Amino acid sequence: MLRLVLRTALRMVFSFLAIVTLVFLATRLSGDPLESIGAQGLTTEDRVLLTRYYGLDRGMWEQYTAFLRAFTDGQFGLSFIERRPVAQIVAERLWPSAQLLLASVAVTLLLAIPMGIVAAIWRDRWPGHLAMGLAFLGYAVPNFVLATLLVLVFAYWLNWLPVVGNGSPAHFVMPVAVLSAGLIAALSRFTRNAMLDVLGQDYMRTARAKGLPERAVILRHGLRNAGITILSVVGLQIAGLAASGSVVVEAIFSWPGIGDLLVNAAIRRDYPVLQFGVVVVSVAVLAISALTDLAYAWADPRLRRAAAEAAR
Amino acid sequence: MKRLLSASALGLTLVSGAQAAEITIAAANMSTYLDPGRDHSNVGSQFYYNSFDPLIEKDYSVVGGAWKPGLATEWTLVEPTVMELKLRQGVTFHNGEAMTADDVVFSLNRMYQATFAPYQVRARDRLENFAKAEKVDDFTVRIHAKRAEPLWETLINLQQVFIIPMDYTMALSGDPKVAEDTDYEAFSLAPVGTGPYKVAEFVPGTKLVWERFDGFWGDAAPLDRVTVQLVPEVASRLTALKTGEADIATNIAPDQLALIEGDADLKAEGMLTPLFHVMILNQNHPKLKDARIRQALSLAIDRDALNEALWLGKAHVPDSHTYAEFGPLYMPDLKTFGYDPEKAKALLAEAGYDGFEVTFDTQGSYYTNGLLAAQAITEMWAAVGVKGVIRDLPKWTGNDPEMMTRNWSNPMYFADPFGSFGVMWAPGGPSQSEGRFNTTPAYEAAWERFRYGETLEGRKAAYAELMEHMKADPAVLPLYRPYESWAMVKGVTWAPKAGHIPYVLDFRAGAISVE
Repeated sequence: MLRLVLRTALRMVFSFLAIVTLVFLATRLSGDPLESIGAQGLTTEDRVLLTRYYGLDRGMWEQYTAFLRAFTDGQFGLSFIERRPVAQIVAERLWPSAQLLLASVAVTLLLAIPMGIVAAIWRDRWPGHLAMGLAFLGYAVPNFVLATLLVLVFAYWLNWLPVVGNGSPAHFVMPVAVLSAGLIAALSRFTRNAMLDVLGQDYMRTARAKGLPERAVILRHGLRNAGITILSVVGLQIAGLAASGSVVVEAIFSWPGIGDLLVNAAIRRDYPVLQFGVVVVSVAVLAISALTDLAYAWADPRLRRAAAEAAR
Repeated sequence: MKRLLSASALGLTLVSGAQAAEITIAAANMSTYLDPGRDHSNVGSQFYYNSFDPLIEKDYSVVGGAWKPGLATEWTLVEPTVMELKLRQGVTFHNGEAMTADDVVFSLNRMYQATFAPYQVRARDRLENFAKAEKVDDFTVRIHAKRAEPLWETLINLQQVFIIPMDYTMALSGDPKVAEDTDYEAFSLAPVGTGPYKVAEFVPGTKLVWERFDGFWGDAAPLDRVTVQLVPEVASRLTALKTGEADIATNIAPDQLALIEGDADLKAEGMLTPLFHVMILNQNHPKLKDARIRQALSLAIDRDALNEALWLGKAHVPDSHTYAEFGPLYMPDLKTFGYDPEKAKALLAEAGYDGFEVTFDTQGSYYTNGLLAAQAITEMWAAVGVKGVIRDLPKWTGNDPEMMTRNWSNPMYFADPFGSFGVMWAPGGPSQSEGRFNTTPAYEAAWERFRYGETLEGRKAAYAELMEHMKADPAVLPLYRPYESWAMVKGVTWAPKAGHIPYVLDFRAGAISVE
């Protein structure tokens, strides 16, 4: 297991270096702050002045090494626009985003797995149809439509829920509902299908023949074996959410998250913020994939053994 | 103020604001830094006037309001190029420092003799005529201009020369006795002024909190606390008024007004924003070199139709590049721009237009209705036989030689033709410098008479010449002055003042009251 962990870590380091370099190049390709709309109406002299002020008169290699060096000082450089450490700017946004992500994932797991199990066990009866009907609805309605609808009903008409920011538990209700809806739709369908595969297996019949109660048969023998599929879907969902998922939701609910930060940094070509923000998100995605890999091994002894063989 | 009905049920602890006058503004845009000196954006202009003062104040309640004492109590021209100002005594900055001539000289010279790049950029287009400020005694300063200045008060009243504290600023980083670039950068995150509200909290790009400054030299601020919160979505801004999370919502386009008027809890206050959305035309694009083609592109646009369709008729379509705010220099009689599709067709035929594509650049909806206007404009061109193509690009293209036409805005940075047309279209200014606008010796001579002319009539005549030049060889077409509104709950009495630059949220004494 230790070797497996080390291998996973090493792979992460390489992926990280590749990402850092790609991010640096990609931000440069998108044009510089003096090409953004913020630079309208500048004279040639002013352009020269600001190019020097932003440090963009330096050679590409020099900028790249400065970018790498910025990882060591704990500040990750200064924002072109705000002129304060990027680490501070990103830190302000990271926790609100993480809160939203964790809450949405928790709600998804709590609802989607039972829904999937119900849909599998009673697949030809009304509970199954209801669960799958809801899942299709969640799949079909885009998140901005759902968000607008919720805002209209629960905030604009009923005045029950707040729409601005992340100040209290009540602020979480609508954004979490919107983000979870799509995830629940996907995960409950995958859970159902995985469970259907498992339910027909011989070991399920054996478990029942042993006289185990139905509950234990379904949860211990059924769900445990469907777990790999569920884990991989959840891993992908979390990674997707961390990477990009909530930009629209952040805008609608004025959530001070990292999606809004990155979009604005991209519009302004605020390289230091954009670069570090993308790197932070990539690290989060890498960490989530690594954790998913490790969770596979934990969930399935065969994978654990195979990985250990390969590592040897 | 109305609050969420279920607030207690949800365990929220919302302050009812029983006695204290507190309001929250749901703002479409929030500054990423706050320094009146280096900023001239429409985002920043919302905020500075509550926290900073100019030396020479103005009655902003009306268009063309009178000058009033501000941080200076009197000012006299001792020579054509030297203005002497007596400073108000007993003025305190938000951090407790007393204001003296040192602070004033420091504030002015950081712009007049700028060493910090963002200040140099800002000073170049409007403060170039000012050589320096100097201290005479603790409460007297002199400002030296390079040439006789017809716009003394106007240019001393500018946001860019609002007064900031010297000792505080210099001590923000490095050597506390030296003004370094990093001091100005730090200042823009922790701004301190002399105005009626101090900045209590500033989270760049997200939130600004003002608190009443009890040491203010003038009439006390009417509000104890104001929170400005970024709410980018217009639907969320209006909803926040309904849930009680906000009391005023900024940047409401005309199409939302019916909703507000139909709501018993809400109302709207609007005004014609002192800013033109314009179309620029590249005089130096090889295919547009013939002025007749550009005249035709301009004459083909029915701006009244754009106003009706996009602004419900509430915007203002000007005949020339002129604003009512200019007072005696407002020249609505000039017929610089107009709609004449027949003449456009004739000019195109004369110029031998062969059906080449004319591109119109826009950045999505950076300007309200920008993309829709672009689509309508290319349709109007089609009606006179011009093949228009929209290029929706995520960048500024005004300095791109390939750019043929695009949208832009010409805000009124201060109430003089120099403050809008002048900043953008001066010889050697940004438009010429970006390579899309040419000046002739005749234009430059007219510019000199307009900028430095000693008589009002002389300046007006020279400005009319500049407009004639623009008519004959078009590089810009003002499309309209947009109409923008602020929505608010019925308990708030506030309206934008007609004498301000665009978007100022003026919450000073007499400007706002809350039930």
